[in-house]
Amino acid sequence: MIITLSVYLSLLIFLVAIVARGVRIVNTPIHLRWELYPVPHEKGRSQYGGSRMEEVDWWTKPAKKDSINELVVMLKEILLLKGVWEHNRPLWFGSWTLHFSLYLLIGLMGLQVLSAILLLSGFSFYAEIPELYRLLLKYIAATGFTMGTVGAVIMLKHRMFDKKLRMYNTKSHFFNIIHLGAIYVSGIFWMIADGGFVEQQAELFKGVLSFSQFPAVPTAGIVHVAIVMLFFVYLPFTHMTHFFTKYFIYHDIRWEDKPNIPGGKIEKRIVEAVTQPVSWSAPHIKADGKKTWADLVAMTGAEKEEEV
Amino acid sequence: MPCHCNTGRLEPSSIEDISKPSEQLAHVCLEDLPKLPPPYDDFNDLPPYKPLTESAREDYEATLDDTMTVGLPKAKSPEEEKEAVDKFLTGLQKLFSKEDNWTFLQPLMLSMEHCAKCQSCVDDCPVYESSGYNEIYRPTYRSEVLRRLYFKYIKPGNKWYKKFQQGDIELNYTLLVRLCELSYRCTLCRRCAQSCPVGVDNGLISREIRKIFSQELGWTQKDLHERGTLQQMTVGSSTGMNTLVVKDNIDFIDEDMTDRTGIEVKTPWDVEGADVLLIENAGEFLAWPENHGCIGLLLDAAGISWTMSSDIVGYDGVNYGLFYDDMQLARVATRHFEIAKKLKVKKIVMGECGHESKALAPISDRIGLDLTPRESIYTLMRDIVFSGKIKFDPTKNDFPVTLHDPCNLVRSMGIVEPQREILRYLTPKFREMTPHGVRNYCCGGGSGFAIQTPFNFNDWRNQISSRKKFEQILNAFKDEGHDPDQPKYVCAPCSNCKGAIRDLFDYYGAKAKSGYYYGGLSEIIVNAMVDAKEPILDWEMM
Repeated sequence: MIITLSVYLSLLIFLVAIVARGVRIVNTPIHLRWELYPVPHEKGRSQYGGSRMEEVDWWTKPAKKDSINELVVMLKEILLLKGVWEHNRPLWFGSWTLHFSLYLLIGLMGLQVLSAILLLSGFSFYAEIPELYRLLLKYIAATGFTMGTVGAVIMLKHRMFDKKLRMYNTKSHFFNIIHLGAIYVSGIFWMIADGGFVEQQAELFKGVLSFSQFPAVPTAGIVHVAIVMLFFVYLPFTHMTHFFTKYFIYHDIRWEDKPNIPGGKIEKRIVEAVTQPVSWSAPHIKADGKKTWADLVAMTGAEKEEEV
Repeated sequence: MPCHCNTGRLEPSSIEDISKPSEQLAHVCLEDLPKLPPPYDDFNDLPPYKPLTESAREDYEATLDDTMTVGLPKAKSPEEEKEAVDKFLTGLQKLFSKEDNWTFLQPLMLSMEHCAKCQSCVDDCPVYESSGYNEIYRPTYRSEVLRRLYFKYIKPGNKWYKKFQQGDIELNYTLLVRLCELSYRCTLCRRCAQSCPVGVDNGLISREIRKIFSQELGWTQKDLHERGTLQQMTVGSSTGMNTLVVKDNIDFIDEDMTDRTGIEVKTPWDVEGADVLLIENAGEFLAWPENHGCIGLLLDAAGISWTMSSDIVGYDGVNYGLFYDDMQLARVATRHFEIAKKLKVKKIVMGECGHESKALAPISDRIGLDLTPRESIYTLMRDIVFSGKIKFDPTKNDFPVTLHDPCNLVRSMGIVEPQREILRYLTPKFREMTPHGVRNYCCGGGSGFAIQTPFNFNDWRNQISSRKKFEQILNAFKDEGHDPDQPKYVCAPCSNCKGAIRDLFDYYGAKAKSGYYYGGLSEIIVNAMVDAKEPILDWEMM
């Protein structure tokens, strides 16, 4: 029961921490535009990095958005790590294997949730769930664990010996890689220890979904589950949250080219921001903790004390 | 050996080194710099890098590298040092507060908290590469210093856990003065930001560091602040020109342009209800007057209703606040908008100036309400050239031409093609630099470096931050040889970029040695006009 409760607790910590982080980002005030081209939703222009500002009187013409291209660019970045491929080729293979193995394991978890629902609906794992499906799960797991192990070893090597990285490493970089590597290696051990890995994992998901007892699994399985749960607890407090904050970085900053239209939502948020008091202390700012941003912008910054 | 050092190459071996007192944290030996293509490849033929004088080292905080541009006077007492450190910490808190830094809080916070330290960005930095990969200029170095300070002093959490995640750093006065100077070794070109798979923006971080120093401690670069935005807000222009002087200068430019082309040019002032309010970088009127003359001539020839403003700030599009201070950025831009409203114009057209365009168009789009629309001169010129209202003879531009892409207009605004369409049509010997467009390299004068000249900063700029651009130019013209009598033209449609390229060519003697010239886009257009009686591009005068 302790194991079952630990699983719930770790998932709860993960969800609460991730949601809190997301809320914190969403609740930041509107910022000045800071886009960076190419912006992939610029229809007909993103290939060379152009924008609608290339047209005379661009504000009188409707914005032409290419959402499909934006999606393609996102998929290439997520699935193939295109940025690393283009700008840091020596690191790409290790980084890609490490990331792609995670995608495989997330996919495996999704499928095992489905398995658990089938089991809870009364299906028998061996008699009624098709063998092809079971084999698919097995191969996804084996590929994911193997790729992940390879990726972790390569990344560890880079972190240890690559001069370019060395000065910027912190203890957490090594810990993160070893932690991920431990997930993959323990997964391999679980698969080797007992031929029933896929079924046991499905039973485990069934137990989690139905709030029931943790099923019988080999020691390697318990170790694997424990490491995975620790990772769930740890992840939201690291830079690895870029797995979801990257969405905000790209969509709210790098590709965010929405103009400020009179009466629009942006205008409303600007009013909120410029009516806040400012407290910067440099003499030219002229702030006193009461004057708002809008008040201070109306000054030149060169006023003498008696004029303020 | 052109290098004056006795020490050899110096660079930090850890992030924490920035806090450790030493005579100098980094030194670039000239022989460490990447070789330029011939005939500029022999170090012995190149100008020496002037060292900082002894008196400069005695009076100023010169412990970062071989140069200074902020030039902080030495603290008079330990109390003064402590006060600065305390103020910095207060400023750091404000930098991460919603009220004080609404303008950039979200981008900054996301860049602080999500760097994977994979270093994918570093090879794309022209300053880092051109310094011979000296650690101090790595785009992640200064970011890492700020990141460690943020995690240590601002971000809530257990101090051991934060140290485990992000490493440690000691905040002291040595760090402070070095970090302030170091924030002015990045041109804010944002090429590194383009390369980051996560989207971390080291250019923004450099700018935000400058901002704490400016907005909280009042530590600023004088050409940007005192002689820049403050002078502009009080006198009217960062050049120091008041209304009378600027009108006088423009009259002279109009007359000169009329004489040279045989086409009447008359700049209209303060015309209420005009379609276009033209705001140019006023530095053009002094350094490259023909640029304004050509723009005025083309607007008239195309029959456009336009005006300039004689109000304070209205005739100078410069906005150095973009480089170091949000309040100054907003103050200058707000004046531009107020003037446009007063004149009831339909749109503001920004002259050939990258930072002006970025400051006024996308960045300032969110500093006020009901703002007059803004447009780049590039797009308007493209429409004028292809409108059929003016006759052109491209053979008048029968010399090799290449194009420099100003970062602020291209990478930050996505204005890539209009200027190219013009050059492909009007210059038969046009060729691109490699790389170009949104992957261009900065001229080396970005973020105001082009107008910063204290101490030996010119040498640093010409040897390091502009080096990659010079290499690109040399490669673009490599098939043309180096005959000085065969002019080769670098079209650099941006005032700051022109300033940097002017200094670069002077420094290396590129005009005399290779026949390299530079100028704007409008000059190339007018030079190809059938009706212009004399060429505007006068190689003898350039």
